Amino acid sequence: MNRVMVTGATTPIGRRLIERLLADPGTALVLAVGAEADPVPLAKRDPNRYRYRQVDLTRPRELHDLLYADGRELAVDVVVHNALHRRAHDEGPRIHALNVECTRDLLSLAERHPSVRRFVFRSASAVYRLDPRRSTLLGEDDPLDLSPQAPQKVRDRVEADLTVCTRMGMSSMQIVVLRCAEILAADVGSQLYDYLGSRVCLKPAGFDPMLNLLSLEDAARALELAVRGASSGVFNVPGADVLPLSRAIERWGRVPVPLPGPLLAPLYRLRARTLGSDFRYDLNYRRFHFSAVLDGRRAQRELGYEPQHRIDWPYPQSSGNQS
Amino acid sequence: MSLGRRLGNVLSDLLLEPRQKAALGSVAFRDAGHGFDVLGFDPEAFALALGLTRFAYERYFRVTSHGAEHLPRSGAAILAANHSGLLPIDGAMIVVDVARQTSPPRVARVIGDVFIPLMPWVGTAFSRVGVVAGSAGNFRHLLESGELVLVFPEGAPGIGKGWKKRYQLQSWRVGHAELALRHRAPVVPVAVIGAEEAWPEIGRLDAFHAFGAPFLPIPATPLPLPVRLHIHYGEPLVLHERFGDADDPAAVRDAALVVEHAVEALIAQGLGQREGLW
Repeated sequence: MNRVMVTGATTPIGRRLIERLLADPGTALVLAVGAEADPVPLAKRDPNRYRYRQVDLTRPRELHDLLYADGRELAVDVVVHNALHRRAHDEGPRIHALNVECTRDLLSLAERHPSVRRFVFRSASAVYRLDPRRSTLLGEDDPLDLSPQAPQKVRDRVEADLTVCTRMGMSSMQIVVLRCAEILAADVGSQLYDYLGSRVCLKPAGFDPMLNLLSLEDAARALELAVRGASSGVFNVPGADVLPLSRAIERWGRVPVPLPGPLLAPLYRLRARTLGSDFRYDLNYRRFHFSAVLDGRRAQRELGYEPQHRIDWPYPQSSGNQS
Repeated sequence: MSLGRRLGNVLSDLLLEPRQKAALGSVAFRDAGHGFDVLGFDPEAFALALGLTRFAYERYFRVTSHGAEHLPRSGAAILAANHSGLLPIDGAMIVVDVARQTSPPRVARVIGDVFIPLMPWVGTAFSRVGVVAGSAGNFRHLLESGELVLVFPEGAPGIGKGWKKRYQLQSWRVGHAELALRHRAPVVPVAVIGAEEAWPEIGRLDAFHAFGAPFLPIPATPLPLPVRLHIHYGEPLVLHERFGDADDPAAVRDAALVVEHAVEALIAQGLGQREGLW
């Protein structure tokens, strides 16, 4: 019987994960942690199996008290860290505090916690450095994007990922890092979702890379399997949708417009400034040129995870290529 | 369906015989869910490519195939061939020949140079017809997926060898032998006769490295010469039965040498049988 603490509980992934955990009688209790007040659907839960705490994770004292007051009292044994800042344009020390410092503090507190025995961290495929000279299929051992020129969102993701990875084998806790493919959904920080929000999608002329996209359902399932499993380590979590960028644009009902690459960054910067959209071309430059698909064999072998749920595409598969 | 795909389908219908087009409907590939495999292969693009190269295969280069019974009908295998030419005419003709000589048609997945994905349009077009960038990871994935992989162990030095060195194998790389041992995949030696004379070069610009290309060849003729091409397939070499350990550098070198000698022997045989260039 697991007693699970979930950060980022009000995010779409957090909500799905909590629903899944509570639907399973193997979960004794969920301690949900969010930055906002308890959302209405969650408030209707059984108080014996569900507690909600509103906590600012960037404040070390609040974080400490969360784990050593509620966490100790409720004998939490698994921590799922799912809270990461979502907007790519927001940068600065406060964003870094949530993305990285909070992860470091939470990990450190969990390590010396009397009841926590397992720590699950949701990372992202964005941590990988895409290199056309390497394999299209990215394994867990592929190089990470350690470029100092990378946008803060990527640097923070990599730093948080490595922060957790460095404790593997040194901690008495079991540590699991899930590097999830991009989740194509609203409010999860998906760059592609924001990109597909335009009627016309500009893409680099001459390039049509293969993308790997994950559904919310599969992301939540992978996290649940990581909570229940006994394996530790780094695991890629691929999605069920592998398709070229142009096909993704078509399936979303948008019009792909190829343009010379150098024009795209300023145009998308202009779009962000005028419309407040979140898509950053510099963040996506390499994956809009080079194919990258996560190799999920390790997660399949050790966690029993296989992608099952496709994205709910607004437009049906064209009659040409049937899956 | 997009206009481009419709046009592609119409073109391949026009360019291929109905029998060929129907056979391509059963081409084996691992659909990753949207009609493409994870490396970007698209069977419709492949059919179009076969249609577009039909004239070159049947009329221009008048390709003849020898020993096609040695092509494995299923399972992972490696085709190792000599390399030449400014454009990969040899690779294209082998791919067309393999698809024509096997039933259901097999796709020879060409291991291309690592700079190919950097080239706009070319990189995308190549990936749709089954070419993959030459990384060990891609090669391994194809073998684990039971694909037929076409490799040119001479690499870039093969295409830059020049007229005087034609049919002399250049530095023979060993990666294919290591992967053949590791994945217990047979290696089919392949000799392409004619391609090394098809497009002679008169020089090259070594300082030209656009898109990561090793050099820019300067051709003697604006188009390749219409020489006859002969593709010879040798008996599959089951290297893992002779050289066990894929991590033993000496075993890998020896295994690669066996493949090199087999390709050399096929080249000699093909040149001996050839009645003329045209």
